[in-house]
Amino acid sequence: MKELFKLTIVLTIICALAATALAFVYTITKEPIAYQQRLKKLKAIKAVQPDYDNEPDKQFVDIKTGEGDLTRFYITTKGDTPTGTVFMVSAVGYGGTIDLMVGLNPEGSITGVQVLRHTETPGLGAKITEEKFLKQFIAKNLPDTNWSLKKEGGDIDQISGATISPQAVVKALNGGLTLFTDNKDKILEAG
Amino acid sequence: MAFHSEFTKGIWRENPVFRIVLGICPTLAVSTQVSNGIGMGLAATFVLLGSNIIIALIRKGIPDKIRIPAFIVVISTFVTIVDLFMAAYTPGLHERLGIFIPLIVVNCIILGRAEAFASKSTVWMSIADALGMGGGFTVALTIISSIRELLGNGTLLGFQVLPDAFSPAVIMILPPGAFLTIGALLGFFNYLSNRKST
Amino acid sequence: MEKLVVIILSVVLVNNFILVRFLGLCPFLGVSREIKSSVSMGVAVIFVMTLASICTWFIQYYLLVPYKVEFLQTIVFILVIAALVQFVEMVIQKVSPVLQKALGIYLPLITTNCAVLGVCILNIREDYNLLETIVHGFGAGLGFTLAIVLMAGIRERISLGKVPQSMQGFPISFIIACLMALSFFGFQGFFSHS
Repeated sequence: MKELFKLTIVLTIICALAATALAFVYTITKEPIAYQQRLKKLKAIKAVQPDYDNEPDKQFVDIKTGEGDLTRFYITTKGDTPTGTVFMVSAVGYGGTIDLMVGLNPEGSITGVQVLRHTETPGLGAKITEEKFLKQFIAKNLPDTNWSLKKEGGDIDQISGATISPQAVVKALNGGLTLFTDNKDKILEAG
Repeated sequence: MAFHSEFTKGIWRENPVFRIVLGICPTLAVSTQVSNGIGMGLAATFVLLGSNIIIALIRKGIPDKIRIPAFIVVISTFVTIVDLFMAAYTPGLHERLGIFIPLIVVNCIILGRAEAFASKSTVWMSIADALGMGGGFTVALTIISSIRELLGNGTLLGFQVLPDAFSPAVIMILPPGAFLTIGALLGFFNYLSNRKST
Repeated sequence: MEKLVVIILSVVLVNNFILVRFLGLCPFLGVSREIKSSVSMGVAVIFVMTLASICTWFIQYYLLVPYKVEFLQTIVFILVIAALVQFVEMVIQKVSPVLQKALGIYLPLITTNCAVLGVCILNIREDYNLLETIVHGFGAGLGFTLAIVLMAGIRERISLGKVPQSMQGFPISFIIACLMALSFFGFQGFFSHS
């Protein structure tokens, strides 16, 4: 009994010391971590829609998609005039979900696309992250573009050796643009 | 044994990855590029150093029965510290290593050294042991990730090394390439030591 | 329902814990010499993984999150897993000596199996709900068992063959794992045609 008591005490002390040390480290790293996370978000926004002087991560509107999920539209403004919106779209590619960040101007033309997360095959499908592939989407919009790959008669350049990954990107962008068009007034009003 | 020999044994003679084949999971998982490999190696070295020091300090106060849980608490404390600091100051690396940072806790090398060495040795020797083993782990990670990044992507630390005409063997940075690399390396080291002994 | 099927297929085949995610390699190499013991190991892992997934899920959402101490996740999860393994060991000893004989020596090994802690952390990172967590934990164990039993089958055959001296033991096991990973790679793209 006495031994059990001793074991409990020793282990409790060790755990308490560990928790104290961690609480201390947590408090000193809390601010920098929050800062890094914000920086990451702002960097992703800036990469697809550089034309703003507000704080788009604090100005947003959540829109319900057809499937009932919420998509967050960050609003960019410059001198109080809306310059566009930035939001995330995703689609299932070859290896899993592909998350994209899209920037639009108020008219609904793309200002930039970045891949946030993907698990496509390196060297093949993963080429969707390359500038060469992504920059073709700039200035494209819903009405004037045939949103399918060239080999299917559309307007989008494909990647040699990979069909499914670029198809997924096209599908995601098309869905995102449609969502924007359907809710355009609501989104731009929030700006 | 002297500080020096405790340190060098980890680098080669008792290299945790190549000779004892421990800590294979993180070694294979993060070695797709050299920067990840080195980052992982340093993170694990820090945890090993911290836990070895603390365990060598408190080893006399810990009853034998709760030895292992006590070690695990110490190790996971250091892992969490590394995790938080990396999230705050090296966010890119933190994201690439992902789940393998918290998993340093179950890296057999660290608990293994705590149990086999730090719990029986002085602080000073435990430091040498931690630096040697951590160094050996880092060296192994660097070698494996160099091979994989070079053959799989034509680059080293992100810089283009092989000419454009070289078509990267993408399979090397995919999971099968990891198994192939370590299998071939272990076979090669066996061959070397077999030849020496005959 | 569809999501659950996707989770289980994904974790067993497409993102197999051993062959794609590199989790749980130590027991994979250590306990894959014969089919019989690898099956026992697999069953023990499925059991512990499912149980650990459930426990850590409740701890995360009813303890760590309400008290805002998510940074203690690693330390709490590993202690819970260690305690759980001990507990399971004691229960099995009491309830079924036969099972104890079959699984006994494998249970302690599971505490330091990174696949168990890995699956618990992944459950939280992927934002799974309780049901998805259970399915994911069970599926991860199933995928582990599949890989380790296949490996044992191949190694039983290999032990009869002539392997060059330098390649015996670990090296040849890794080469086998390489070829297995290569064939599992074919499962990539499983969901893209749906």
